[in-house]
Amino acid sequence: MATTVTKIDKLVGKRVRRKEDPRLITGTATYVDDIVIPAMNHAAVVRSPHGAAKIKSIDISKAAELPGVVAVFVGADVLGVGTVPCGADLPGLRRPVHHILAQDRVYFVGHPVAVVVASNRYIAADGADLVEVEYEPLQAVTDVEKALADGAPAVHPEWPDNKAFTFSQTGGEPDKAFAEADVVLKQRIISQRLVPNPMETRGVVAEWRQAERALTIYTSTQVPHLARTILAGMLGLEEHRMRVVAPEVGGGFGCKLNIYAEEALMGFIAMRTGRPVKWIESRRENFLTTIHGRGHVDYYEIAAKRDGTILGLRLKIIQDIGAYHQLLTPAIPTLSVLMMPGLYNFRNIQADIVGTFTNCVPTDAYRGAGRPEATYGIERMVDILAAELKMDPAEIRLKNFVSKDQFPFPTATGLNYDSGDYHATLNKALTEIGYSDLREKQAEARAQGKLMGIGISTYGEICAFGPSPATPAGGWESATVKVEPSGKVTVLTGSSPHGQGEETTYAQIAADELGVPLDDIVVLHGDTSIVQYGIGTFGSRNTAVGGSALYYALQDIKEKMKKFGATLLDCDEVEFENGKCRDTKSGKEVSVGEIAGASYRAMKLPPGTDPGLVATKFWEPPNFTYPFGAHIIVSEIDRETGHINILRYVAVDDIGNILNPLLVDGQLHGGAAQGLGQALWEQAVYDDNGQLVTGEFMDYAMPRARSMPWIESSHTCTPSPVNPLGVKGVGEAGTIGSTPAMVNSVIDALSPLGVRHVDMPLTPEKIWKIVAEAGA
Amino acid sequence: MITNPFDYTAPASLSEALALIAGGAKPLAGGMSLIPMMKLRLASPEHLVDLGRLPELNYIRDEGGEIHIGAGTTHYDIESSPLLRGKCPLLHETATCIGDIQVRNRGTIGGSIAHADPAADYPAALQALEAKIVLRSSSGERVVPTTEFFLDTFTTALEPNEIVSEIVVPTEPGLTGTSYKKFYQPASGFAVVGVAARVRQEGGKFSLVRVGVTGYAGSSYRAVSVEEALLGKPANAESIKAAAAHAAEGRDANSDLHASAAYRGGLLVTYMIRALTSALERSS
Amino acid sequence: MKISGTSKVLPFPPERAYQLMQDPEVLAKAIPGCERLEKTGEDEYRLKMKMVLASLSGAFDGKVRLAEPVPPSSFRMIVEGSGKIGFMKGDGVLTLAARDGGTEVTYDGDAQVGGTMAAVGNRLIDTTAKLLIKRFFDKLAEQSA
Repeated sequence: MATTVTKIDKLVGKRVRRKEDPRLITGTATYVDDIVIPAMNHAAVVRSPHGAAKIKSIDISKAAELPGVVAVFVGADVLGVGTVPCGADLPGLRRPVHHILAQDRVYFVGHPVAVVVASNRYIAADGADLVEVEYEPLQAVTDVEKALADGAPAVHPEWPDNKAFTFSQTGGEPDKAFAEADVVLKQRIISQRLVPNPMETRGVVAEWRQAERALTIYTSTQVPHLARTILAGMLGLEEHRMRVVAPEVGGGFGCKLNIYAEEALMGFIAMRTGRPVKWIESRRENFLTTIHGRGHVDYYEIAAKRDGTILGLRLKIIQDIGAYHQLLTPAIPTLSVLMMPGLYNFRNIQADIVGTFTNCVPTDAYRGAGRPEATYGIERMVDILAAELKMDPAEIRLKNFVSKDQFPFPTATGLNYDSGDYHATLNKALTEIGYSDLREKQAEARAQGKLMGIGISTYGEICAFGPSPATPAGGWESATVKVEPSGKVTVLTGSSPHGQGEETTYAQIAADELGVPLDDIVVLHGDTSIVQYGIGTFGSRNTAVGGSALYYALQDIKEKMKKFGATLLDCDEVEFENGKCRDTKSGKEVSVGEIAGASYRAMKLPPGTDPGLVATKFWEPPNFTYPFGAHIIVSEIDRETGHINILRYVAVDDIGNILNPLLVDGQLHGGAAQGLGQALWEQAVYDDNGQLVTGEFMDYAMPRARSMPWIESSHTCTPSPVNPLGVKGVGEAGTIGSTPAMVNSVIDALSPLGVRHVDMPLTPEKIWKIVAEAGA
Repeated sequence: MITNPFDYTAPASLSEALALIAGGAKPLAGGMSLIPMMKLRLASPEHLVDLGRLPELNYIRDEGGEIHIGAGTTHYDIESSPLLRGKCPLLHETATCIGDIQVRNRGTIGGSIAHADPAADYPAALQALEAKIVLRSSSGERVVPTTEFFLDTFTTALEPNEIVSEIVVPTEPGLTGTSYKKFYQPASGFAVVGVAARVRQEGGKFSLVRVGVTGYAGSSYRAVSVEEALLGKPANAESIKAAAAHAAEGRDANSDLHASAAYRGGLLVTYMIRALTSALERSS
Repeated sequence: MKISGTSKVLPFPPERAYQLMQDPEVLAKAIPGCERLEKTGEDEYRLKMKMVLASLSGAFDGKVRLAEPVPPSSFRMIVEGSGKIGFMKGDGVLTLAARDGGTEVTYDGDAQVGGTMAAVGNRLIDTTAKLLIKRFFDKLAEQSA
């Protein structure tokens, strides 16, 4: 007999509203500052006001005597705690010993020197003010080129040349390419230091239970499992007795992909005092002591033939390391090297990195982590080459792109680009914006003396970290799917979303695979006592790697369900569809709920099958993924003020398959905002004494909603062959694509004045000065 | 961050508040400038007297050709007042440029001008309006013209136990065109340069010109040379451009991370021209 | 940050102005907020001051040093202090010139700020330094000729 099969609509691919949002927008989510434990103390950190100084003495007596102060700790007290780790291993890497409190010297403004523990945060702040530290200020150095110059003050006395490491990579025959080139162009290009500024600053609550030797640390982190392993080591604890919880995390953007001194310090304090302790970072502390992003002074050379064929690229990166290494600091610029060829097919590269110490807070991963710098560099050089050869910037790109039949494409830097059709994407962007009409409009505008620019950026990006041999601490991800006796589903993911929305995306995947309603699925993450070991969230890897682990776990669940289904239906062949197992011969069905109940009740187990309905998958990706896209920005400059108006922004991004367009839009818009922030407004500025001059939002200019253009966003889709979902990842793509498009647009606008390059941020004063001087 | 400990009183009457201030307490209005300083412990008053709840300071009244504004009136109330929009649009327009919605909900005109930040917006408008500032203490009251109120960076004519109690601005006869143009510092939103212009024309010539400048120098000022250069001249773009060259009045331009003195100078002339041009358009 | 400018005309000739500016008792009255200036060495003084500007107020401990004397035309003054709200250092050369029967002083130097003050005050370093310098010369002018 015929049975009607109710087709449940697939959720993957739909703009599903987020499951996270109700609690976030009603203020009922639990962030680390919402955690209150009985008898909890508060900690306030005393920090160095100097960029470089010797500590001559610390007098804690007045602070310790203040009623309500429970304890005061200084550098000598914490020598038993392990040092802040650097997980990146480069040959010859010089590793300054990084204690969680300064010892005899301070190396950057904000360097923690002492910590006051008190019964409430007010007394802790008053106590911190009473700690008297006598410093002998030393000469600081904060500019990388000054740090490398002869006679520069030594950031670390043992390494007077201020070099943390050098790194070189050669691909093909760059010297030959440069020798044979018709045209060689050079440019110094800066990717300036940035402050990540997540909406939620860092924060830690630590609780120690002496009798069980158990430490729980709540911390605003992107990597709770890694934090547990590392902090256990630093504190001399048994890993299995330690619990790390990432509660709701209000943004990270890479700056919380790290292990910070304060995390271990709070653990130390909890263990020493026997009472829980909380530390919440102020915004000012966040500016000073949470890692900064970027920090490159790059010297580029491009070699080409007169017909526009790029032959080779040389790149020298002077990387501003800061005073210490944090978790991935030295590795970040090596990611720039990997992506230096961009979307182009040239085979000859030479890269040299000098990692340089400065008396500043360390740099580390920040949205894009090395790839925005590389993309910005190559896209600027391509525009500079196009200008020199009087070629259209779109033409020169199309001429040099890897073509769609060359995939997987082995790059000159040792990568294998997974899939792509760069020509289609750029052409789509050019059509969307009406490129040839736009160039005509530009010519008319120029005839009227207007400064109108069209800037193109075609970016490639390496993400979905990644194959474990190439990723420190492992690049796999884990997922457990538990179908409960009632048929409801719990997903435990080792990834650690902090705003990206995987509670929704993963639920969509599970809903489609198992045929259960979205509401029947809960996704848990972030608590190392609940979730199996995972790597965490960074490098745009959640969906591509975490989602794939989930997908495979779901397949295992489906296989087991089919076995139980066959047993329940007493038949040999079943089909699983729309949440039901169906006997293909009789048409009889059982639901997921019935199967689940049966699997736990275990009245009749299928042969060779255990009770229960749980599957765990640890999935190792065979490769990174490589999203790409084309962003085009039209701008006009107000000659009188230097103000830049963005007239149009077209973005065509290829991120492979799209599982939730609403979330993808969010990632692209947010990424573009941060990229425009770098291009136009943001810069972390240190003076020569190590003072962070842009240390508040009064001086550090963030993008605002009112300054954002409307982004005309569309997509091409070349699914990734690397994972079963065909997904490439989108978290960082917007940031990588937007910055070069904006800068190229402004320089295009200024080109009638003979301008070849202007460094970011493109402040109105910089532009005004150029226009004023050209008019003179 | 966290303030140092302090005492707080919210008196029910202005006279009670003034007595406390005479005794050394510090007045608190909207707190938009003071509280951030206190949280960074750059300011540590021992006793705050909250003026925010005093109805005696919160009003906008039309009285005999002048509008009297209580010092405790918020920027939001000034921005949304139909009376001001109709009869003193310069003040309305200036209020819309201050900070953001949250700041405007709490910040007050009295608190703002008492603070005398060199980059605040109201001083330019008040200069152009030739406003009168009423100062009160427990011993009495006095009136000071705007030009004698703003003396230097963060320095006003206020004596230690005085507060600003009222600001008086004219309601304009006939067609007076006004405009406030400001170049926003991209991080803080403060005026890198802000120009408030107030003009009248008769028979195609400028019959009244008043211009206030903020953000450029250590404190706000009347651009008297510009005013004199325009009075009686043809009301057109050439006159404005020629007069704008006098905009700096020989004063030293501020210089900071966001704008060098040279850039400020360029912006000042540009914004002088834009404000005067806009005011002129509105005067016809 | 570089700070430079010119004072108003002081009501006494350069020789007298020079003399006054080397005199610690005069300096103690002229340096804004100075509570005490005590000699600690040749041309060096320990400084205790309280800076009050708008709502900002803080006590500073530091020193004043006079150097490179070229009487009566120029000398160098270094003022530095540190306190809870941060630390600051002003280092500049003062050049005296006769003008209108009195003395005009030109200053050219560097002002640095660190600590919490630097956070809030970056845009104000220039205006504040100039204000304090102006107050210094105002106070100096009040000294009997």
